[in-house]
Amino acid sequence: MRLKSNLPAALKYQAVIIESAAREAGLDFFEVVFELLDARDVNGVAAYGGFPVRYPSWRFGMEYERLEKGYRWGLSKIYELVINNDPTYAYLVRSNSLLEQKLVMAHVYGHADFFKNNLWFSPTDRHMLDTMGNHSTRVRRYADALGQEAVETFLDRALSLDTLVDPYLPLRARATGPKRGGRVHAPLSERALRSLEAVSATPFTEVEDVDDADEPPMPKLPTYDILGFVEENGPLDPWERDILRIVRREAYYFCPQRMTKIMNEGWASFWHSKLLTGGILEASEILDFADCHSGATSSPQGQLNPYKIGIELFRHAEARGEDIFRLRRVHNDVSLVHKLVDEEFAQKCLAPIFVPGMRQRDGETCREVDWQLLKTRLLQELSWGGLPQIEVVDVDAEGEGEMLLVHHHDGRDLQLGRASETLKALEQLWQHPVHLLTIEEKQGRRLVCRGGEVTSLDTREAEKACAKEPA
Amino acid sequence: MFRIESDRARFRDIVRGRIRQDLRRYLSTGELIGRAGEKAVSIPLPQIELPRFVFGENPKGAGEKGDGDKGDPSDGEASEGEGGSGAGDQEGRHILEVEVDIEELAEMLGDELSLPNIEPRGKKELANDGGRYNGVRRAGPDSLRWFRRSYKNALRRTIASGMWDPNAPRVVPIRDDFRYRVKRSCPEPDSSAVVFHMMDVSGSMGREQKEIVRIKAFWIDTWLRSQYKNLDVVYVVHDAVAKIVDQHTFFHLRESGGTKISSAYELCLRQITERYRPEDWNIYPFHYSDGDNWSARDTELCVSMLRDEILPRVNQFCYGQVKSAHGSGQFKKDLDNALSDVETLVTASVNDRGDIPDSIREFLGKGR
Repeated sequence: MRLKSNLPAALKYQAVIIESAAREAGLDFFEVVFELLDARDVNGVAAYGGFPVRYPSWRFGMEYERLEKGYRWGLSKIYELVINNDPTYAYLVRSNSLLEQKLVMAHVYGHADFFKNNLWFSPTDRHMLDTMGNHSTRVRRYADALGQEAVETFLDRALSLDTLVDPYLPLRARATGPKRGGRVHAPLSERALRSLEAVSATPFTEVEDVDDADEPPMPKLPTYDILGFVEENGPLDPWERDILRIVRREAYYFCPQRMTKIMNEGWASFWHSKLLTGGILEASEILDFADCHSGATSSPQGQLNPYKIGIELFRHAEARGEDIFRLRRVHNDVSLVHKLVDEEFAQKCLAPIFVPGMRQRDGETCREVDWQLLKTRLLQELSWGGLPQIEVVDVDAEGEGEMLLVHHHDGRDLQLGRASETLKALEQLWQHPVHLLTIEEKQGRRLVCRGGEVTSLDTREAEKACAKEPA
Repeated sequence: MFRIESDRARFRDIVRGRIRQDLRRYLSTGELIGRAGEKAVSIPLPQIELPRFVFGENPKGAGEKGDGDKGDPSDGEASEGEGGSGAGDQEGRHILEVEVDIEELAEMLGDELSLPNIEPRGKKELANDGGRYNGVRRAGPDSLRWFRRSYKNALRRTIASGMWDPNAPRVVPIRDDFRYRVKRSCPEPDSSAVVFHMMDVSGSMGREQKEIVRIKAFWIDTWLRSQYKNLDVVYVVHDAVAKIVDQHTFFHLRESGGTKISSAYELCLRQITERYRPEDWNIYPFHYSDGDNWSARDTELCVSMLRDEILPRVNQFCYGQVKSAHGSGQFKKDLDNALSDVETLVTASVNDRGDIPDSIREFLGKGR
């Protein structure tokens, strides 16, 4: 696919205006390249996670089918798609109105600034488009040589693990310098905080764009980076190792997006609103803008809309006199919520989400809800990118090279059916039995996957091992 | 997007492969019947989705010994990809249900049984799809008032005229603000078909025989539905007399008594002449019976009715003889002998469920 801007003059003109307004407001981004696509094609690009050059997999086809159906039935529609890359590529949907395009463009500049400046994105590959293309070529080459079936089967197994990475690893590696090791085993939250401080203390430099510099460093036991651990230590053929490497690298690339969903969307919404109503829109467009904007930031009862929470957080911060540019630089969703959510915010924005039947009316807030609980609830949903925290602690559990995983239980159980299937995929990769300690309904359990069969045993030891690390 | 199409094709191949593996089984059990909607069938497919560690409720007693033994199916609800927004895949369901369009299912059936497409006969008429309310105009009935558009106009006018007060946000619409939805119709070429399912419900047709008829009727409908946009289905039951019934009754009625097949054919013929004129409709009568007719006289009557009245008017007439506990009757043989020269008549015998696919092929394999 060609990737050059093909905007008609009218849109190009708007892009220039909005870009200069964004720069004037203090946003700082790589060059942004807009691409105009039909709705179908946007669905296609979205199915690939934004990368039309990505390696082939039926999984993307499935996602595409889902998006297509949603679009055809009028249930969902993608307005914009932007990828973290230098230059930053953004896709506009041809069928959108001019006002919608303006809104999307302003929104995109917000994202582009966030990608470039947020700390968690700093270790990401800024030439991911090329890297993805490269990955695709490698996967295709393996498929040509070894057959599609074999490569697909392996890729599917690897993809089962693509959430099993350590979101803090890339930054920690940077904080501790190029030399590996010297890792302190402190409680997770403290570790995160420490790496945060370490990096924000050092002057923030541009990422080197040497290809391999972006490779996340290799983990040591114990680690959350199960994908990396298997890649380095698993009994694999070179091509298999390479596919794991590809999957892992893409997983780390997408990881910060999971950790900053609220911030990222919030920041972009904050700025599209500010820029557009700050003189870009014609008076006649304001109403349609308000309609469109409130659609994107609407928060139906009981649903957490990252756009809504995000924009409210930044507005709240601005009202409190915080330096919002600094906030967007050093935080992720968890730490930002931790820092900013106070009683006022919780009652106004969180209560309607978490307390059924409660809506704020005419500035009158309901005081009966314990706002700390609301905050804790939100933090729990956001922690670890909303995923279960699973660590590999030992690879010699039974003296036979058997891998031992521990699920750090935070009150929410794993879905054991799917966990069993995942263990089977992992056993195939590791080629030795795999154990998982977890807790189900307060009962400690050890799932053992041996020879493709999963058995589950009650065990006390799990309860201790799985207890959440003290915060 | 050219590339995504190949990934989608791959995904479909996988889905189809899984369904096809099971298609023979579906063909001889009623499994899919309850799962069919207007446009799609939802088919439970284990393990289409990639397994992952996720939070979720566990059904009581899960995680016991041997959990996941026979390929525990993975979760319902497609998980959210990086590009998507929206929340909540709470479904703790264990089986992924894949929606397959009736058309696609029919296509698989067609492939499996190598059925040819049907050449519709008669003229193609222009039909209306009923139209959609997607136009807008300034006048119309209140029931079609487009609130959002009207409100926005009123709000815009209020602000423009300087009457807007943010502290007392009040919008009073005037006549000029209102907008109404209007129907736009889009005619499409169309051809229609009607299926008559006629079943002998005399005392000799047992539960199993009816189940066989039910399964056959389902697959035949599925196939014909893929060939015609408008498909009417008429259910007829008969013993010594025939009557039109609804679908539920058709499959559940248990009558007893004698059998006069001519009664059903008469009723069918009356329907054809009165409601489903052959100029406008493609007509497919199916008749299922155990083959025991009341008398040779009645059989003769049936034969002459078929030859002179029914067969010239229909695309194809199918007779399926289901073997019952009392053995098979004469009727199929009589038809075959008397009407061997008429190619729009197809007969098939079904001894048990295993014969269902072949008999479907007999019926639909001619492409008429």
